[in-house]
Amino acid sequence: MTALLAATRSIAVARDGPSALPAFATAVETHKAMVYSIAWQFLRDRIAADELAQDVFLQLHKSWSRIESPAHLTFWLRKVATHRAIDAARKRKAQAESSLEETDEPTVLERVHDSFLSSYLQRMVASLPEKQRSVIVLRYQEEMELEEIAKVLDMKVSTVKTQISRALDLLRGKVSRRLGKGTGQ
Amino acid sequence: MTPFEEELRQALKRREPAADFTARVMARAAAEDAKRNSGFWFSWRLGLATAAVAVLTLSGGVAYKQHERSLKGMAAKRQLLIAMRITGTKLQLVQERVKESEQEAQ
Repeated sequence: MTALLAATRSIAVARDGPSALPAFATAVETHKAMVYSIAWQFLRDRIAADELAQDVFLQLHKSWSRIESPAHLTFWLRKVATHRAIDAARKRKAQAESSLEETDEPTVLERVHDSFLSSYLQRMVASLPEKQRSVIVLRYQEEMELEEIAKVLDMKVSTVKTQISRALDLLRGKVSRRLGKGTGQ
Repeated sequence: MTPFEEELRQALKRREPAADFTARVMARAAAEDAKRNSGFWFSWRLGLATAAVAVLTLSGGVAYKQHERSLKGMAAKRQLLIAMRITGTKLQLVQERVKESEQEAQ
């Protein structure tokens, strides 16, 4: 259902020309969750994600005259938000090193509740190497096609596929080992 | 999409920022605009002042050149008059000599 809505939205955006570009405030209101969520997946800090999202929109404000269409607007925001989030995460990583292996494991391993699994998955995604984290966030949060992800991250489509596959293997293995057999299918 | 990928999609659902997010962005954008505009007016005034100074310097230079040229012209005129006066005097002397030599011959 969500995929259908996303598809409908992208078709509507593709159909609209440059004249359909919304006012800046409308653009902020429409895309704030997208930009904030991308930042949050990389930083996992409400204040830092909020600041990064604001900076992205201020950069958009300066570049507003160069935005050609609603589709271009979405693409621009995803690209800038992702690259800025990667940079910010790198800076933070330099301050407090953490990796997938070092991430704390959940203490309750039996009868895992959905929200607990979600929270665990979020933490696992946050601890993925940055390329893998980027493709996973864009693929499963933003529900983007492989070609779109490749454009946003300046990668080949084959690289995107490989990164997604590696990240999924890593996450599945981790979840299966820690939360019990049958979870990581 | 596998069940695991579906779990992942659910886990990575978008989340909303604070309710006043848009208002804060708009306030910062307005502040940036004001800063940029004041910068624009400052540079506009600076440009105008520079242009005025350039015009004044140029017109002053042109006026000075004209004055210099007229001074040279007047000096040349004076020299010409002196030369003509000397030539006139010399011619008069020659005429007088010619008259004298004619009278002596008669």
